[in-house]
Amino acid sequence: MKPNITCLSCCSPDRSITQIKYNREGDLLFSVAKDTVTNVWYSVNGERLGTYNGHTGAVWCVDCDWDTKNVLTGSADNSCRLWDCQTGKQLALLDTNSAVRTCGFDFSGNIIMFSTDKQMGYQCFLNFFDLRDPQQIDNQPYLSIPCSDHKITSAVWGPLGEYVIAGHENGEFNQFSAKSGEIVKKAKEHTKQINDIQSSVDLTMIISASKDNTAKLFDSASLEHIKTFKTERPVNSAAISPNMDHVVMGGGQEAMEVTTTSTRIGKFEAR
Amino acid sequence: RLTLVEKPQEADGIDSVVVVDNVPQVGPERLEKLKNVIHKIFSKFGKINTEFYPEADGLTKGYIFLEYGGPSQALEAVKNADGYKLDKQHTFRVNLFTDFDKYMNISDEWETPEKQPFKDFGNMRHWIEDTDCRDQYSVIYEAGERTAIYDNDAKEPIVSEERARWTETYVRWSPKGTYLATFHQRGIALWGGEKFKQIQRFSHQGVSLIDFSPCERYVVTFSPLMDTKEDPQAIIIWDILTGHKKRGFHCESSAHWPIFKWSHDGKFFARMTLDTLSIYEAPSMGLLDKKSLKISGIKDFSWSPGDNIIAFWVPEDKDIPARVTLMQMPTRQEIRVRNLFNVVDCKLHWQRNGDYLCVKVDRTPKGTQGVVTNFEIFRMREKQVPVDVVEMKEGIIAFAWEPNGSKFAVLHGESPRINVSFYHVKNNGKIELTKTFDKQQANSIFWSPQGQFLVLAGLRSMNGALAFVDTSDCTLMNIAEHYMASDVEWDPTGRYLVTSVSWWSHKVDNAYWLWTFQGRLLQKNNKDRFCQLLWRPRPPTLLNIEDIKTIKKDLKKYSKIFEQKDRLSQSKASKELVDKRRSMMDDYRSYRETAQQTYLEQKSLRLELRGGVDSDELDSNVEDWEEETIEFFINEEIIPLGDL
Repeated sequence: MKPNITCLSCCSPDRSITQIKYNREGDLLFSVAKDTVTNVWYSVNGERLGTYNGHTGAVWCVDCDWDTKNVLTGSADNSCRLWDCQTGKQLALLDTNSAVRTCGFDFSGNIIMFSTDKQMGYQCFLNFFDLRDPQQIDNQPYLSIPCSDHKITSAVWGPLGEYVIAGHENGEFNQFSAKSGEIVKKAKEHTKQINDIQSSVDLTMIISASKDNTAKLFDSASLEHIKTFKTERPVNSAAISPNMDHVVMGGGQEAMEVTTTSTRIGKFEAR
Repeated sequence: RLTLVEKPQEADGIDSVVVVDNVPQVGPERLEKLKNVIHKIFSKFGKINTEFYPEADGLTKGYIFLEYGGPSQALEAVKNADGYKLDKQHTFRVNLFTDFDKYMNISDEWETPEKQPFKDFGNMRHWIEDTDCRDQYSVIYEAGERTAIYDNDAKEPIVSEERARWTETYVRWSPKGTYLATFHQRGIALWGGEKFKQIQRFSHQGVSLIDFSPCERYVVTFSPLMDTKEDPQAIIIWDILTGHKKRGFHCESSAHWPIFKWSHDGKFFARMTLDTLSIYEAPSMGLLDKKSLKISGIKDFSWSPGDNIIAFWVPEDKDIPARVTLMQMPTRQEIRVRNLFNVVDCKLHWQRNGDYLCVKVDRTPKGTQGVVTNFEIFRMREKQVPVDVVEMKEGIIAFAWEPNGSKFAVLHGESPRINVSFYHVKNNGKIELTKTFDKQQANSIFWSPQGQFLVLAGLRSMNGALAFVDTSDCTLMNIAEHYMASDVEWDPTGRYLVTSVSWWSHKVDNAYWLWTFQGRLLQKNNKDRFCQLLWRPRPPTLLNIEDIKTIKKDLKKYSKIFEQKDRLSQSKASKELVDKRRSMMDDYRSYRETAQQTYLEQKSLRLELRGGVDSDELDSNVEDWEEETIEFFINEEIIPLGDL
């Protein structure tokens, strides 16, 4: 029997989408965009379920906890917000000094992390909040790690909420302990900015997409480099298939860097 | 009577004496004539006060003494008359008498000259001895930071040598492949031998262009930096083996490089300046016959690649038509002159062996406005060099001779209607148009150096379209593309072709691709900021025609051996690849096993973190599942119900 591939096109917002995430069970898809709106859709038929309104700037990142109870978003409006997934109500507003670039729930869904950009004289920070502590939700992170050298461009949690693996704009990785804030492990395999990091479904491996035209597979715990996938263009994002047999990478030339109109030269394709 | 052994008593006057050697030995009947000739030549430098012609057995001895009014005149004589060619057998050697004194007084004690360490560069032809007959090529990449030399293996290139900052701009191979020349601010360097050691260095500040003599004895360097009136420095000719500067020249006009064009055997080199053609001899580096040729209006010239014949053309001058002249060197005899009428421009195209010359003539026929093109084909190997004319109906984009044959290919027309035509110059006096292909995407023709095969390429703006043609029956073997290709280079044997995208013309996708002569793609080699690939030329074959005939006859025997060898190496390579992949898979599997192990061991921790909920598998928690019915919009159909 031929597999049925249905292409669903969801009504896209006016400005470009910056990130999408499935929930763990895969029945919901969250999307955030530069137009400040956060949407949630039914995966099965592409029908929009609802929106989370509140951000006043481009939204850069989104995450959903394992139980699809809470949604976390980070924005250029210098805030990271927590939402109730079902009702759409904003549960917490965490103000920052600069744009929030990456955010995520840990394995338990109780601890959140987000990183802020190096902007307007402020350093890049990696912040940790425990959602069970009402004091922290009032914008007092239990841990705030400064990154003075190269800002964090992407980050994911480790498998048991013990550490966060951060990718930096110079291509290096740092594994930050979520308890002490220390750098537990380091790795430098990429030569240019890390654009995205995603985990395998069991969180044992991560794949990083970089401006240096490669995507690399690592073991999450040891940060040991397992494989490199080479292309001829900067890679914007990469993901590991749930069966863990394949990886998919997407990328191409930055639109503002294109000097010819030929699509062939930009190689806008996913591979 | 003066003899060489006796030292003359008079002290003054000695400095004004010259000794002329290699003078013809004549008897008394011709002595008067000889003295007149000598007088004529040597009185140019000053007044000759005394002359002495020693004799023996009725003939002059062959050397003479001349005394001038003063030492400076003697010096002039030495400077200008030494090396004077009186005739074929007699070239004067002129020395100051006082120099003999110097040489006579050399100490009888023999001092062993200091031993210079022998510079062993190894076998300079080492690369030719590769048992698998791989040719080499140079690659410049990383925008010029790295230069590498590879052995061309059909499977993948094998690095022979790789150096950072080997050259500051680009590289050039010498014509027989012996040397690799690199460019530096201070001059050029030549490298060679098995290990590419530095053979020679030539100091020429700001050098930007070089050219080798075909025999590899000389290299010519050009630098645009200031040269002085007294000491011409723009163009310098160097002796490669000794490293010495042979001669410097000014560079008057910014003409095309190479400004000096060499004859095929390296015996002569010539350049064209306003109304003048100057031909020099090697190794003396002096003007042939001590004077340049005055050719009023000369527009272009070139040497036959097979003989010492120069072809040049002059445009129309009042009522004298334009003409192409073939001149034999060194005799300067005009072998052939061809008059041309209503000429706008001419271009000279020699076939690589010098068998044919094609002159592309652009004319505006009387009474018309447009320009038409003719090809005037000179048959060099036939008596009196007959000329045949091929008239072209369209504008010419490219022309190329089959290197060692009698065919030529022409790209004509105007984009987007470009055609390629193949012609054959036959022995019966006819030039046959064999075939024309229309609708070609090409702006360049590249013949295989062995002939028969060629590639039509649409380089740069034509996006790298490629067409591989077998001209023995004018069939298109393959059509392919290397998007944005900027260069095409055949290997010296004609087995392989490289198309490349140079960083110098295009900033992305820099790579070189290797094809077979039939157009089958073998390799794609991406190189960070790849700039230039040049095949290493091969020296001419040592085999004579008989040997080659014998080998071709026995080719079947050799083919069997080669095929076997290829199959062996193929299977070895496949086996290597399979083994490599298998071991990589095994490594990955064992890594996954360990990771799985750790994952299972951590299950309790996971349960704890999620409040006892098992989320390891999607169906770990079936009790929590809800059934939902979802409607899908499939189709809409409007059915008219008719009148109700």
